[in-house]
Amino acid sequence: MEDNHEEVLEIFCQDGVQILTAPAAYISQLNNVGTLMIVEYPNSNVTRCIEWKPIDLTIDSDVQDQEWTVVSTVRRRRTYSGSLPVDANRSKHLKINMSDIKSFRVARKNQKLTFRDGKGDDLCTFVFQHGSCEGLVAVLKGILKTFVSRRDKHVYCILDDERNPERQQLDKSFAELNLFQEQSSPYVWKLVKNFQNRPYETTMEAFSKITDIVYRGAEHRLMDPEVHNILHRSLEAIENNTTTHSHEEYEVIAHVPKLPALKEYPRGRPLSLEQWKALQDSEGQVEDVDAVKLVIFRGGIASNVRKEVWKYLLDYHRWKYTHSEQANLIKQRNEEYFIMKLQWRSMTKIQEDNFTDYRERKSLIEKDVNRTDRTLDYFAGDNNPNLQVLYDILMTYAMYNFDLGYVQGMSDLLSPILYLMNNEVEAFWCFVGFMNKVSSNFDMDQAGMKEQLQHLNTLTAFYDPEFANYLYKHDSANMFFCFRWLLVWFKRELSQQDAMRLWEVLWTDLPCQNFHLLICVAILDTEKHILMENNYGFTEILKHINDLSGNIDVSAVIGKAEGMYNQIVDAEHLTDAVRIIIGLPILGNASVIDSKEASPDISDLTLNGDTDEVSYENALTNSFL
Amino acid sequence: MANRTSAAQRPNGSTQGKICQFKLVLLGESAVGKSSLVLRFVKGQFHEYQESTIGAAFLTQTVCLDDTTVKFEIWDTAGQERYHSLAPMYYRGAQAAIVVYDITNQDTFARAKTWVKELQRQASPNIVIALAGNKQDLANKRMVEYEEAQAHAEENGLLFMETSAKTAMNVNDIFLAIAKKLPKNEQTTGPGGSGQGRRLVEGDSGAKAAGNCCK
Ligand SMILES: Nc1nc2c(ncn2[C@@H]2O[C@H](COP(=O)(O)OP(=O)(O)OP(=O)(O)O)[C@@H](O)[C@H]2O)c(=O)[nH]1
Ligand SMILES: [Mg+2]
Repeated sequence: MEDNHEEVLEIFCQDGVQILTAPAAYISQLNNVGTLMIVEYPNSNVTRCIEWKPIDLTIDSDVQDQEWTVVSTVRRRRTYSGSLPVDANRSKHLKINMSDIKSFRVARKNQKLTFRDGKGDDLCTFVFQHGSCEGLVAVLKGILKTFVSRRDKHVYCILDDERNPERQQLDKSFAELNLFQEQSSPYVWKLVKNFQNRPYETTMEAFSKITDIVYRGAEHRLMDPEVHNILHRSLEAIENNTTTHSHEEYEVIAHVPKLPALKEYPRGRPLSLEQWKALQDSEGQVEDVDAVKLVIFRGGIASNVRKEVWKYLLDYHRWKYTHSEQANLIKQRNEEYFIMKLQWRSMTKIQEDNFTDYRERKSLIEKDVNRTDRTLDYFAGDNNPNLQVLYDILMTYAMYNFDLGYVQGMSDLLSPILYLMNNEVEAFWCFVGFMNKVSSNFDMDQAGMKEQLQHLNTLTAFYDPEFANYLYKHDSANMFFCFRWLLVWFKRELSQQDAMRLWEVLWTDLPCQNFHLLICVAILDTEKHILMENNYGFTEILKHINDLSGNIDVSAVIGKAEGMYNQIVDAEHLTDAVRIIIGLPILGNASVIDSKEASPDISDLTLNGDTDEVSYENALTNSFL
Repeated sequence: MANRTSAAQRPNGSTQGKICQFKLVLLGESAVGKSSLVLRFVKGQFHEYQESTIGAAFLTQTVCLDDTTVKFEIWDTAGQERYHSLAPMYYRGAQAAIVVYDITNQDTFARAKTWVKELQRQASPNIVIALAGNKQDLANKRMVEYEEAQAHAEENGLLFMETSAKTAMNVNDIFLAIAKKLPKNEQTTGPGGSGQGRRLVEGDSGAKAAGNCCK
């Protein structure tokens, strides 16, 4: 029995994967759903295989289990015992030797992946029913030398294949230069292309690698003339403001383009009741909305008129409506609210018992209402009636937007609004307005949060490449330590009053869209010295950032962020990637199109440029190991 | 503090013994008391209206165990299902996990079981998993029987205790039980050294925080 033990190393594993096409022997398994794995047999000559097995009903019958798509990149060791009915089971396993795979193609927004052989024929196609194949692709890129085909941007060719015609070109360039031990040729390729198109925007991480190539390459290595040219031209194109600093094993010579000097903007006076009245005509219409927003952006809103103005900022009232139009809208909204409220209030016990989704939602809301801002007087004490209102609004919102439902964090966004409005219907509609601005924060797949974190990385890399490089080198380029900031717009970091002051500034959408990301950049800029001097890694950074709660000077941060905004828009090397984030018209240079082409794997997040994407991906994989 | 450290109590946490550092992650349905357990263990406090966790929190605590100082690096995660996709990031490379449920809520126990299953499939192979039936002080509203949970723990090789962050019952004990079960030798398996404690050099900063148990 011992002899039959076969050592197996599972490199990757993902559930919910359907077989669409497969070799004839596996015909009975077509369209079945199962688990896809990359498996290594250290003691065999066929060392690595792609394997798929149908759902094992004895283990996976649990419905919930199938719903998850958990991707593991952790290596696991396990043994199959020969005494078990292994053969019966394993014959259902589809198994493809990794060495037979010469390329793979990703399609349908990362939902479908086809492995192909050397003749370009399909070996098998998998559909990723939950989640995507991004995790698999990342692992494949890690263990194989791959590059993106020039003929089809969705195809990854595997370099180890001698016969691959696309190989020859690359042979001369990166692959043979062997500069990157970590088998990251697609990375290098992306990097250089990116560098060529957008030299400034490339992160410091990129800089350090490029300069590393240049220096070490010049000394010791033959460099493909084409590569050499690209690098040379790119470096030449950069201004002569060169900074030098030493880094662990080698000198990094980086050409950091200078931003204009930072000018901090003092805060202005808040919008006063008198100003507000003066800006409305006799009919109550607000003529110059931009002027109102500008005052609010500069100095916020005085507390005696805040309640009124928030209704406009949150789209409950309309700037251009007359008093009577406004009154109509209010009446209509009022009725609508109570209809929706009645919908859940009239739910019978039996209905509820038969409606799991609803029950779960209700229980989540109950749990969170009970622990939202209970230290504030407004919500303090047992049986506080305001808790009931908070609960009713969230329940009604769950009926209003059933697809989104209730997600943790929402009660934090509602609490200051309810406090200010002190009125159920008004608070509800203002909350709807806020949620319309931030609903992507609560996406099921976290896509909205991931995109923002990535944008934040792009901005940081542009504003402060050295710091971005530090984060990259410390497994923190994923910016996850800013998750809480972004999810509830700094609500957990600030006092209620300060959160309100910040929110109204952000609601003006001035001076640009995504200004909240610049708020992050501004706070990070203040903290970066501590992080870097203490050589903090991901955990310490997260702890430090979490611990900032209660110690952020909101006025100073807004002023600084505005200054940073001006530095960025005035920068000569402003890139399209940054322009897109802050909502400036793009110049339409090659970089944006190019980034799309080079990254078929995350096609919905391509607007940020390759480098950030790659570092983001890498960071995701490298962190927490 | 109820830490039952025996022989090797030394002043100031200075020790000739080993110092080990372990990554521990808390998982479980929202509002079962993960943050409360950590707060009790690390700061000896309990907040009735503990805020929900957004993203994750990171805390450390050090305990002494015979001649070994064990430093826990604790990741406290957000429990809601919507944030499930972030969890692997936090349990990856963890040497220990506490899966928490609320004894007054059967659903949270079901969720705990699936967390255990996920950890067994996806986390480090030698991860030490403890199951904590929290809110034991509310035993009069109990919906999950002690025996049922214990049987599940036995079948799956988990440590098991009923705890109360509110009264502090079994809180230090469960962390100590984990510390005892963790391997404290230096060999590592596989990439990232998962499964084993990182042994720190004498005088490493890890030793400074040993205030809790070595009183
Ligand atoms: N009676 C009692 N209540 C507890 C106990 N532990 C926690 N609670 C309460 O349960 C609620 C939720 O506790 P948390 O610690 O925030 O729960 P969590 O698991 O961290 O929740 P998430 O952060 O949402 O995942 C709070 O109101 C706590 O006061 C306990 O042992 N006994
Ligand atoms: Mg918590």
